[in-house]
Amino acid sequence: MSKPEFVYTTYIETSAERLWHALTDGDFTERYWFGHRVISDWNVGSPYRFARQGAPSIGGKVLISDPPRRLAYTWDPCSADAKRERTSRVTFDLEPRGNVVKLTVTHDNLDEGGKTLRDISGGWPMVIASLKSLLETGHALPADLPSSVAKEKADA
Amino acid sequence: MRKPEFVYVTYIETTPEKLWEALTNSEFSKRYWFGTDVKSDWKVGSPFALVTNGTTTDIGEILEADPPRRLSYSFHHVTTEESRKERPSKVVFNIEQHGNFVKLTLTHEGFAEGSKLLDGISKGWPAILSSLKSMLESGTALAIPPSALGIEGLEEVHRS
Repeated sequence: MSKPEFVYTTYIETSAERLWHALTDGDFTERYWFGHRVISDWNVGSPYRFARQGAPSIGGKVLISDPPRRLAYTWDPCSADAKRERTSRVTFDLEPRGNVVKLTVTHDNLDEGGKTLRDISGGWPMVIASLKSLLETGHALPADLPSSVAKEKADA
Repeated sequence: MRKPEFVYVTYIETTPEKLWEALTNSEFSKRYWFGTDVKSDWKVGSPFALVTNGTTTDIGEILEADPPRRLSYSFHHVTTEESRKERPSKVVFNIEQHGNFVKLTLTHEGFAEGSKLLDGISKGWPAILSSLKSMLESGTALAIPPSALGIEGLEEVHRS
């Protein structure tokens, strides 16, 4: 029986150090993560939080912090309308391969058929595509892309 | 129970027409698909083949061709005795425009339970589509070492 987990791999022309910075720096995440700034001291056990225009969106605790190779944190959506589900976990693995870094995002400990699984399955490909564009070309995906894609889905 | 299939979504700053061209033209595919030629006249019912360094690795038939929105072909990996025994699978590219961006959804489905090919393509597509995105956005495909993918037998095809 396969348990619900979401794995997304991409390859980015950058260094592991730059990619680590992009994942952990609020000024940087705000640019590619559709306005969501992250804040943490990135020590194991410390809290972290994403906020958009000051409103908290996602939060949790740092589980693994091994720069620039591996970062893991718990994942709790903080929006009031988010149904309470079990706390899930996100792990980023950064593997340099020549002048390219292989990035694997693993989101696991998810509830089968839950809202979080649905949200993150649509969200990660967008966030990671935007991150890759920003690191490679200097500009991220447009901030209104998530709403445009969501609208198309609702209309279909 | 989940279906044995592989789905990959990415967003590329390009037009549907350019993405269609990149998926169907060997001049482009060679650059981002590890030197692979995509061969077909892209008419429904026509044969399809992937050729790397003169070796035909995969064959199939065009199932759908609706430029620049949807392309589908059957897919039969033919490099090993074992893979030739697997039933042909199916590849579908879905292209949706969102402003200056295109959402590309790749679905590779129709595998038997425990398919060995499913493991290989699950490692291959993220590399191919990452390189495709880079090529369309920056003009340069990625130089991903084939060994980075962790696919058995892949390096032999690319060494020749």
